[in-house]
Amino acid sequence: MCGIVGYLDKTAAGDGNIGSVLLAMLNALACRGPDSAGVALFGDHPPHQFVAQVKLGDNGDDAGRAREIRVIAEKFGAHEFAQTGAYLRFVFGETDNLKPFITEIEAAGKDVEVVSVGRRLEIVKQVGSPTRLEQTFGISGFLGKHGIGQTRLSTESVVDLSHSQPFWGHGYPDLAIVHNGHITNYHQLRRRYEQTGIHFYTENDSEVVAIFLAGKLREGADLRAAMQSMITELDGSFSCLVATDSALGFVKDTFSFKPLVFAETDDFVAVATEEIAIRGAIQGDFTVREGQAKEVRVWQR
Amino acid sequence: MSELQNSGIFAPRVIEEIQAKAESGLYSIRGFGTLRERRWATFDDLTFLPCSLTRIPLEGYREKCSTKTVLGTRFAKKPIELDIPVMITGMSWGALSLNAKVSLAKGAAAAGSSNTTGDGGMLKAERENSRTLIYEVLPSRYGINIHDMRMADAIELTIGQGAKPGTGGLLLGSKVSDRIAQQRDLPIGVDQRSPARHPDFLGPDDMIIKVEELREATDWQVPIFIKLGASRVYDDVKLAAKAGADVIVVDGMEGGTGASPAIFQEHTGLPTLAAVCEARAALQDIGLYGEVQLIIAGGIRDGVDAAKAIALGADACYIGTASLIALNCNKPIYEEDYRAIGAAPHACHHCHTGRCPVGITTQDPELMKRLEVEQAAERVRNLLQVMTLEIQMLARSCGKSDVHHLEPEDMAALTIEASAICGIPLVGTRKVFGS
Amino acid sequence: MAEIDAMGRTTREINNAIRQLVAESCKEITVRNPGARHNLAVAVLEDVHIRVAGSAGYYCGGLIDRASIEIEGSAGWGLAESMLSGTVRVHGSAGSGAAAAIRGGTVVIHGDAAARLGVSMKGGTVIVAGNCGYMAGFMGQKGTVIVCGDAGEAFADSMYATVCYVGGKIGNLGTDAVVAPMEPGEAEQLEKTLNSYLPKSLRSSKPAAADFKKVVAGRKLWNFDKREWRIWQEAL
Repeated sequence: MCGIVGYLDKTAAGDGNIGSVLLAMLNALACRGPDSAGVALFGDHPPHQFVAQVKLGDNGDDAGRAREIRVIAEKFGAHEFAQTGAYLRFVFGETDNLKPFITEIEAAGKDVEVVSVGRRLEIVKQVGSPTRLEQTFGISGFLGKHGIGQTRLSTESVVDLSHSQPFWGHGYPDLAIVHNGHITNYHQLRRRYEQTGIHFYTENDSEVVAIFLAGKLREGADLRAAMQSMITELDGSFSCLVATDSALGFVKDTFSFKPLVFAETDDFVAVATEEIAIRGAIQGDFTVREGQAKEVRVWQR
Repeated sequence: MSELQNSGIFAPRVIEEIQAKAESGLYSIRGFGTLRERRWATFDDLTFLPCSLTRIPLEGYREKCSTKTVLGTRFAKKPIELDIPVMITGMSWGALSLNAKVSLAKGAAAAGSSNTTGDGGMLKAERENSRTLIYEVLPSRYGINIHDMRMADAIELTIGQGAKPGTGGLLLGSKVSDRIAQQRDLPIGVDQRSPARHPDFLGPDDMIIKVEELREATDWQVPIFIKLGASRVYDDVKLAAKAGADVIVVDGMEGGTGASPAIFQEHTGLPTLAAVCEARAALQDIGLYGEVQLIIAGGIRDGVDAAKAIALGADACYIGTASLIALNCNKPIYEEDYRAIGAAPHACHHCHTGRCPVGITTQDPELMKRLEVEQAAERVRNLLQVMTLEIQMLARSCGKSDVHHLEPEDMAALTIEASAICGIPLVGTRKVFGS
Repeated sequence: MAEIDAMGRTTREINNAIRQLVAESCKEITVRNPGARHNLAVAVLEDVHIRVAGSAGYYCGGLIDRASIEIEGSAGWGLAESMLSGTVRVHGSAGSGAAAAIRGGTVVIHGDAAARLGVSMKGGTVIVAGNCGYMAGFMGQKGTVIVCGDAGEAFADSMYATVCYVGGKIGNLGTDAVVAPMEPGEAEQLEKTLNSYLPKSLRSSKPAAADFKKVVAGRKLWNFDKREWRIWQEAL
């Protein structure tokens, strides 16, 4: 259980300070979730390339692991390597099929995980508070126009890096989700996905939301339709924020079990579990309202 | 000679139930709690290992064995201090008669212990007659009154109870008398269904804010308890502790109820033995064992059950059914009245009918007269005091000068399941099974 | 008239400041920069008017008796929960569970209400000038729910004796909820209530009281022994 946040800068000017806005929003919610914090940020990068964030694993030798993975990644044209904490970030050639890349990178170790890939998307998440996230990654300096984030109180999953949010729609570039609530038909859905060869990295029910949406988008559904189908196909409680390279949206479950408020002006859209997160990050005279049961909203950049 | 043989699966009782459902189109509602023969690990599967050569027992009477119990030390300005580690749990006025509620209050006070309100708010007579009174805030919010709340010694935020976790309460129309209806703001004679969920918070993250509200409402003075029906105990206890509870109450499957669907009482929730072990493990794993107090409930019958629960990690126990039995529940008196409701002494779980032959779970003034308050209060006091003596006797025999010093290591498991559940060696093996 | 600046202060400090002022017989208090904090003005038990100059978080005005709270922004979940008497007004919108379990008093929401408006109400009145969301009036026992705009789905589900009025459309009726005709004089009473509590500018854009639909419990769930199987199957 946790607090989620999202922000989209509608203005044309500037590079956007999504990092600092999300950090301020997360800090305002920190009492909800001291166990882990994470963000999915969408920056602007040169075309035809992907950014990858790879988790180096839990064996303690991050530098050694980074070297191994670098060798593998270079086969895919990777360059601009940067290691921060347990993450290795690099850039490589855009491709239609990420499977070989993911398979080879993750073969480097049992606990190696490709955390995100996208033209714009970068996910960083770790154990500890938003303040600690900022200390490790300096996210307040990240330039971009939209993003989502989450700060979490651990419930049933182990508190570790992979089990934090946001979750990447694994294998589908630029798709990220954050979820507040509990999917009660998670195990059933997971078993069906696993039958088709999809791998789950955690025991966290939120992961299935990302897998579900990635599946729908691959089948050709547009984002709104994919989020709409969550309402009938996922059981339990959810307020979810979904982001792609060009969109930000939210969906609420049938029973409006989890809070989610939003504000929209000509300049921005802000969404969060509580209004306190929005007021803590954005000054000005605007109204905030709660989403309704079964409501889906998508904003395009 | 051939004998008549009953089917093990379609036993006589099962045949009756199926046929009753076929006739009525209704599912069964009754009171009391699980009636199933307990084939799962219970406190009876543990035995104490008193002192022999390696440890020295305390003499009875002369060598003190303290029973003082303090609850709510984590955040509250005024933790509650009890003379004994056995308390009376929340049972509603509505499910119980006024005489029953007053008797429990007086009896608990006389024993130096606490009483708890129940679904329906606080009775004036309850506050007047209680030494320490815990105020329950349930999903229904019947009778919730800020002024009463501020007169309580602790607030118990109830998420669920052991007899029927995951569902709300039920008071059938015949017990919704004029006075009950008024207290609960309901039409007279109508079945009262309590909601399964609280109206203004739905998850542990919102509950954090609710706990803060209750503290603001009571000036941060009194302890806040969170009460859980034993289901996913390990996770729930961690969440309740993280939500800021001073005390966590875990109510096991063997807990009682005035009325609820039979299937809930029989087939939901964890047995109390398993619940106390999971609860302690949860607190240990988040480093709050000893800081957050634990109250265990659910079929505690005597000082032995209580001592074992304390040894496994509880700071105190609630009793419900046992206290009603002390009041005269199931006593062999007024026997034709038991028969009139389809029961018999020692086989009565018909609280839901409102026709309790001994005046406990009824709103009928004539029946209630059969429960004479002063005598009943004395019986409650006696039970609490004897239970305390039993705990002390066992604690002394294990070399403890304080009942709260009882530990899991003071016991051995009589069965493999109990060994696995409690992490205690199986008798004769020195081995813990299932670890 | 006293002011409290909430900037940089905890809810506990702010509420203590409120209590201090109330103890000094202050009758008007303004809280500036509330930042949508939770639990503001909880358990205020005196006749005092508190203005929240901005948004409030959860449980604003919860457990109050006699006080009057006015929120200029929006409110989070559980607005005025378990209020005994008094008035709580919000100029913006309210989150889920607005007027949850209130026992008396009046809650007025100028904007919209989210899910579970008036859930488990035991008395009092809640008025929403805008629309309300899912399952308004759920298990309402007594009191009145008035929605001038549209009501969401499962409206007035599983109620006891709460009476609801809707000026706009009803998404769908909840379990055991029925539309009933108003009694003689009831429309006039409703009109009086609306005029008393809604500012003129807001009232004028809403329907006439006589055009509101009245919704009450159908009473089919009131006793377990009634064999309306389909109703029970849906309800349980």
